[in-house]
Order: sequence, then C-alpha cells, then structure tokens
Amino acid sequence: MSRMNAMFKKLYKLVLVVSLAIFLFIVFDEIHNLDNNSKRYLSEHYISEGVQETGAINIVTSVLYDYRAFDTLGEATVLLTAAAILSFLVPLGKDKMLGTTFTMIVSQTTKFFIPFLAVLGAYLILFGHLAPGGGFVGGVVMAVIPILLTITYRVEFSEYKFKPAKKKLAEDIGAIGFILLGLVGVVTGSNFLANGQANFGPGNTGELISAGLIPFLNLMIGIKVGAGLAIIFNSLIKEK
Amino acid sequence: MMDIIFNMLMIFLVITAFFMVFTKDISTAVIALPIYGAILVVIFVILQAPGPAIAEAVIAAGLTTVFFVITINKTEY
Amino acid sequence: MELAYVVVIILLSLGMYTIITKKNLIKIVMGFTILESSLILLLILVSYKPGGAAPILDKPYEIVVDPIPQALALTAIVIGASVTAVMLAVVIKIYKRYGTLNVDELRKLRG
Repeated sequence: MSRMNAMFKKLYKLVLVVSLAIFLFIVFDEIHNLDNNSKRYLSEHYISEGVQETGAINIVTSVLYDYRAFDTLGEATVLLTAAAILSFLVPLGKDKMLGTTFTMIVSQTTKFFIPFLAVLGAYLILFGHLAPGGGFVGGVVMAVIPILLTITYRVEFSEYKFKPAKKKLAEDIGAIGFILLGLVGVVTGSNFLANGQANFGPGNTGELISAGLIPFLNLMIGIKVGAGLAIIFNSLIKEK
Repeated sequence: MMDIIFNMLMIFLVITAFFMVFTKDISTAVIALPIYGAILVVIFVILQAPGPAIAEAVIAAGLTTVFFVITINKTEY
Repeated sequence: MELAYVVVIILLSLGMYTIITKKNLIKIVMGFTILESSLILLLILVSYKPGGAAPILDKPYEIVVDPIPQALALTAIVIGASVTAVMLAVVIKIYKRYGTLNVDELRKLRG
C-alpha cells in the first residue's frame, strides 16, 4: 500500500511539472512582445544617444553604471549581505586544510600562473567601458587568486599572503567609495549617482580616461566584489 | 550553417542538463556543471552577448564549481 | 529560433522537477542553478535581433541588439553565484547538525 502511495506521489509531482511546462508554452505562444521585430523605445534611445550622453562605448556598462546605477548599488548590497550571512553562520574557528598534498608540478605551475591572472583581472576592470568585462567579472578573476593559493597550498599560506583584516578593509573601501562617488553628483548640483547629466565631460570616446566617473565606479565595484568573494570562500573553507 | 550549430548546441545543453540531474553519483554531476556552463558560453557568444558570456565563463565554470567541490569535501560524500 | 524557447521551457521544468523530487540537498542546489541559467538564457534570447551587432559601438552600426536585458543578465549571474554560496553554507551546517543530507531523514528527525 505504501509503495502504491509513493508511486502516486511521484506521478503527482510529474504531472505538476508537466502542467507547468504546458502553461509556460501557452504563455510564450501568446506573448507577442518576445519576437525580435517589435519596437523598444528605451533601448532605441540608449543605442542612438548613449555614446554621446555618457562617453562609454560599451552600452551594457553605460546602462549598468549610469542609467541604472541604483541597480548596481543594490547588487553590491546583496553581495555584502551574503558575506555577512556567511560570517554569522561560520564563526571563526580553527582552520582545516583540505588534506591533499600536491606534487611540485602543481605548486610551481600555480606560482607561474598567478601574475597572468592578476593582469587579466586588472585589464577587465580598467577597460570595462571600452570592451566586454567590467567590475564584476574583473573582481571575480581577482578573487580566484586567493582561491588558487588556498587549494594548492593551504589556508594559512593564503591568509599570510592576503590578510583577512585587509580583505575586510578592501571591501569597506569599495562600498564607501561607491557611495562617495555617487555623492559627487549631488555636490555638483545633480542627482545621486548622476554621471551623464552632471556634465563631467565624456572626454574623447574610446580612450582610457573618458566617460566621466564610469572607470572609477568600475574600480570600486571590482575591489568590492573581489574582496567579498574571497571572504565568502574563506568562510566556506574554514568550516570545521 | 550557424543555425545548425546553434540547434546542435541547444540539444547538447538539454542532454547535459538531463545527465546532471539523473546521474546517481554526485561528484559526476558536479563535474558536469562546468561543461554545461561552457556550452552556455558558446550560445551567448553566438547570440551577440559578450559581456554575459565572460561573466558566465568566469563565474559558472570557475567559482560555482569550486563551491560545490568544497561542499562535497566537507560533507564527505 | 523556436527551438530555443522550447529549450528554455524544458530547462525550467527540469529545474523545478529536480527541486521537488530529488532527495539529496546538493542535487537540489544544482536544480536551482539550472533554473537560474534557463532564465538568463531567456533574457539573452529576448535581446537578440537577427543580423545585429554586439552592443559595443566603436563605430555606428545598422542593427544593434538590445542592451537592457544583457545588463539584467549580468546582474543575475553575479547574484546567483553569491546566493549559491549561501545555500551551500547552509547545506554544510545541516550536515554538521544532523549528519545526513537526505531530505526524508531530515523530516523524520524533526518529528
């Protein structure tokens, strides 16, 4: 009887999922805004006027850091909240290493590899308004360096190279710097996080120092994301 | 030509996802996760979205897999 | 492009199925990852225009794909990674507390 019950339960869940799929299929069939020829006036405006208004070639970056910079602030807040939750969940205890010792080849290759990772991360952060990339991706590449050190050697070595207090300081600098750069817009008589409207001068589009505040905002977000993800990983690995 | 490659990549994506869900061994499923991410990166590049492609390559194929491996190591599966 | 939307629906249903039927907690977190990636794929598909160029305007192009869904997708990817990290930390905590990852046994232990 219980076996029959379990089979009925499984069938019930399957029917539930299939009905969800059929419902979604009907919805996708009905919505005509999904086809590619419909006019979207906001994105048309961004595409035709975005380069003149903000000075950044990469339109995705100019949407993220100029037109909708509040979204980015909320996203940074989510990252900060995740790091704080992990710090609460995992109290600072004794370190526990992974228990695997690698041969010399692995450690030497890691040592050889790290400068290239640093250069790639710096390039992705600094050229965020000219090429695909930006603060988030560059910060993640920067956060990979302590992760590699932790996995190849051990937690003590990684924490000797990158001190936890310094990582926390870097995250605070990123968060506060983003807010202060936003307040620059208020001081010059415009909105919070304003960049294009505040007339900082877009500069020559296509050069490294251009697009007003966008490179500095990219730098702050990069520092914050890198330090935050390194803190999250260290909290995960220090769990006993 | 591009349409054929795109459709084949879509089918591979579905196959990888089903493999990830229905394997018995949990570490096999975790190792299938970066393959899924890599196929998704190629699809994003074909659809003219280089920014999300880079983000997906770095985060889904690198960082999330490391998190899953650490979890398996900690729970001794 | 019709096949792509069908693939999105299949992946979303597969993620839902994984979340509500699988017993292992790590598999459930993996289902969340599949669900989230299917939504990102939907955003990128909506932004695509046939014959369009990528939204990096170093010279004026005729057709450019829509930049707003791409920015939303970039946001969603980064938030998804941090949410996954929090979920996995909770999974490790549950294993330390109860000694199992099976959902049914967890339900029995709670009484």
